[in-house]
Amino acid sequence: MPPIYINIILAYTASLVGLLMYRSHFMSSLLCLEGMMLSLFVLATILSLNLHFTLSFTLPIILLIFAGCETAVGLALLVMISDIYGLDHVQNLNLLQC
Amino acid sequence: MMYFTFLLSVIFVISFMGFSSKPSPIYGGVGLLVSGGVGCSIVVSLGGSFLGLMVFLVYLGGMMVVFGYTTAMAIEEYPEAWGSNVVVLGALLLGLTMELFVVLWMVCYDEVEVVISFKSMGYWVVFEGEGTGYFHGDSTGVAALYSYGCWLVVVAGWSLFMGVVIVIEVTRGG
Repeated sequence: MPPIYINIILAYTASLVGLLMYRSHFMSSLLCLEGMMLSLFVLATILSLNLHFTLSFTLPIILLIFAGCETAVGLALLVMISDIYGLDHVQNLNLLQC
Repeated sequence: MMYFTFLLSVIFVISFMGFSSKPSPIYGGVGLLVSGGVGCSIVVSLGGSFLGLMVFLVYLGGMMVVFGYTTAMAIEEYPEAWGSNVVVLGALLLGLTMELFVVLWMVCYDEVEVVISFKSMGYWVVFEGEGTGYFHGDSTGVAALYSYGCWLVVVAGWSLFMGVVIVIEVTRGG
């Protein structure tokens, strides 16, 4: 396999680790989710370009469409959280604590 | 300039470390913008010019703009950059060190083997096929979305429409 793949997979893993570890802002986790989508898009595109498999170029386009849907819903939820609590800190989401 | 695409992918990982170390979201948005640009140049350097344009128009021009003004609306405080906090700086330096290690491994041994091996000189196979004629391969592939994948277009369009309705419903209630 060409060596660029290891860098794209490393970028995906870095975003995944960044998504799973919360700091204060909810927005930065959404940005890490976007980074995961971008790295998957680049991976799918360079796979299709290297293998010359023309029909599989529909995969990056469909991935981008559904990533857009997911971004919209995530941002709507963030706007509602910020509306109620004033800021989007993760510690505000504490209604279920014992 | 044989390793130009590999160098671009190293810059891709470095800008991913820039927002995965979680600074304030406005600086994370800058890092995602840079990584979108570098990702587009990786794709274009391998010959996929249409898909690189898709990254710029749809991803950066559509989704990042929405992220930008949502960040400006929902965040009001003193933003912390990469040097303001030990945690952010430490995470960034850890990521850069890891990437440097991988690059040195690749340059010295010409092969990285974790579970599968990433080699520069893989196996060469004979490539046959009638090709796409005078058209670029990636434009033809995306055009196939409308001929072979018309049901997929209907499903994706319907789910985008449902996404808009869901967003309206979520932001309505209080």
